[in-house]
Amino acid sequence: MKRDQISGSFWLILGIAICIGSVKLHLGTFSKPRTGFMPFLAGASMGLLGLILVVSSIIEGKNEEIKENKIWVKVNIKNILFTLLALICYGMFFNLLGFILATFLFFLLLFKLTEPRKWVMPLILSGVVTILSYLLFAVWLKCQFPIGIFKLGWR
Amino acid sequence: MPDFLHNFILGSHTAFSTMNVLYCFIGVFIGTLIGVLPGIGPTGTISLLLPITYGMSPVSAIIMLAGIYYGAQYGGSTTSILVNIPGEASSVVTCIDGYQMARQGRAGPALGIAAFSSFFAGTFGLIILMFVAEPLAGIAIKFGPPEYFSLLVLAIIISTYLCHGSMIKALIMITAGVSLSQVGLDTITGQTRFTLGIMHLEDGVGLIPVVMGLFGVAEVFMNLEESQEVKVFKAKIKGLLPNLKDWKESIGAMVRGTFLGFFLGILPGGGAIVASFLSYGVEKKFSKHPETFGKGAIAGVAGPESANNSASSGAFIPLFTLGIPANSVMALLLGALMIHGLKPGPFLIKEHPEIFWGTIMSMYLGNVILIFLNLPLISIWVKLLKVPYRVLFPLILFFCIIGSYSINNNIFDVFIMLIFGIIGYLFRKHEYEPAPLVLALILGPMIENSLRQSLLISGGNFLIFFEKPISCFGIVIAILILVSPIFLRKYRTSISKLAE
Repeated sequence: MKRDQISGSFWLILGIAICIGSVKLHLGTFSKPRTGFMPFLAGASMGLLGLILVVSSIIEGKNEEIKENKIWVKVNIKNILFTLLALICYGMFFNLLGFILATFLFFLLLFKLTEPRKWVMPLILSGVVTILSYLLFAVWLKCQFPIGIFKLGWR
Repeated sequence: MPDFLHNFILGSHTAFSTMNVLYCFIGVFIGTLIGVLPGIGPTGTISLLLPITYGMSPVSAIIMLAGIYYGAQYGGSTTSILVNIPGEASSVVTCIDGYQMARQGRAGPALGIAAFSSFFAGTFGLIILMFVAEPLAGIAIKFGPPEYFSLLVLAIIISTYLCHGSMIKALIMITAGVSLSQVGLDTITGQTRFTLGIMHLEDGVGLIPVVMGLFGVAEVFMNLEESQEVKVFKAKIKGLLPNLKDWKESIGAMVRGTFLGFFLGILPGGGAIVASFLSYGVEKKFSKHPETFGKGAIAGVAGPESANNSASSGAFIPLFTLGIPANSVMALLLGALMIHGLKPGPFLIKEHPEIFWGTIMSMYLGNVILIFLNLPLISIWVKLLKVPYRVLFPLILFFCIIGSYSINNNIFDVFIMLIFGIIGYLFRKHEYEPAPLVLALILGPMIENSLRQSLLISGGNFLIFFEKPISCFGIVIAILILVSPIFLRKYRTSISKLAE
């Protein structure tokens, strides 16, 4: 299946889902449009455009042999998944560990990703960036951050 | 005239106060910085800094945020010329001849003419802005819901036309943006929509987490795919001042670029990117030696650089006169104005002249600061390019997290950002551009309100959009833009058949 057909089908299904949701919200009439009116228009257009994308991709595929780009070849997926994992962990443990500890561990993880064999440089960099960002955001700009179970930081 | 003088003095008084000069400096400094660094653009930076402006006065906030916007246009050309990587999308064209000039040992004059063109266009763009904005706002006061609806629709349709690649995909992005804008409370009936029972979604999906995810996080993911380091052009940069021959070849391009850029900038949905591309095309047509284009023609740097800078001045017109943002950066400025309790639209210039005139005057000052920041300090900006991406990307991600978190001090927004980061990455993989989605997300509620109000007024008669001239004009142009690709394709097929 070509990628335009995949993405087009996704928009078609999402568009239909939005339309069903909008009908449940009450569409109203043209002279008195209600809550579901606008999302229905948007969902219907989305579904229709998704269908056009699928159909046009099928027609173009028949007429000429399109060289399908291999979008996932040569992708360093390990780096992306590792970064994603670091971001999810940061979000999950942010309140529990507090800003300082969570930020330090987040930077350490990401700096280690690119320099797996070294420890000293990532440790120093993470420490410096964490302290500087705390001073910038929490102390100077007065952002409210959690102090976590270890009560790190001050107000 | 006395009115104009009064406003001019009021604007100068506001812009030249110590604090506002400082904020203007901070804005253009950050703008140049992010313009130089590929990977983070003005949209991401402004959304990151938006929460910081809560404590400032509205005029200081707008002065700083606007500085980031036009500052980035200056900085973007540096990387185009020296590294062949555009710092900003609007500097893509500058790569073509700018980088060739650098390879021929003329990096200095290329950087010099880019900065002077930006200054020239930025300043002249402002002069036109001063004279045009107020009369236009006077006309806009008479606009009703049908006029607003048609102009808003025109704005988002033009934005799809300017996207690279498939127009259908750009239109899908718009429907996705409008659908996303429907999440939360219906402002007319108070009923909740598509919140999935999540309380945090009752206020809608936050613009900043969405922008941070689509532009910041997704960009990082794309760059992480290939872990290559940037190679900076190693030749020494000397002689930044262009010689007399360079000036002769550039001055016409600068003037044409300024006017072209300004009028394209005004168009809702238009902007710096298309202005720079068009200007390059125009210069190639006007040139006595079109064969030199692509091989280091200085007019190929001067024209597009003027066009993208004056387009950024022009883009302020629909924002200040109609309250309609011309691009995603202007949409964030609209958000900033609303956060500070101001209602952008035709009454803004009348009711808060200090905001409009203060911003304009600060832009003159900003352009002067930018010339000093960009010419003598060029070697420092170049050094920035040597910061390895492995150090840069955790910082970009961290700024995105803090930007999203600090709006409501809520980790939920960080997860929204993360989800949109993944979505944005998949969009890029499947060649969808996120900019129309952001514009539609912001304009969605305005489109809905103006459509529902128009239908209420007309008793459900859609002809209301064709009864008033401006509304009719907007809708007709939007339809023409929508159907034009079909005719263009037919025209091309018949031409190629004839050729065969």
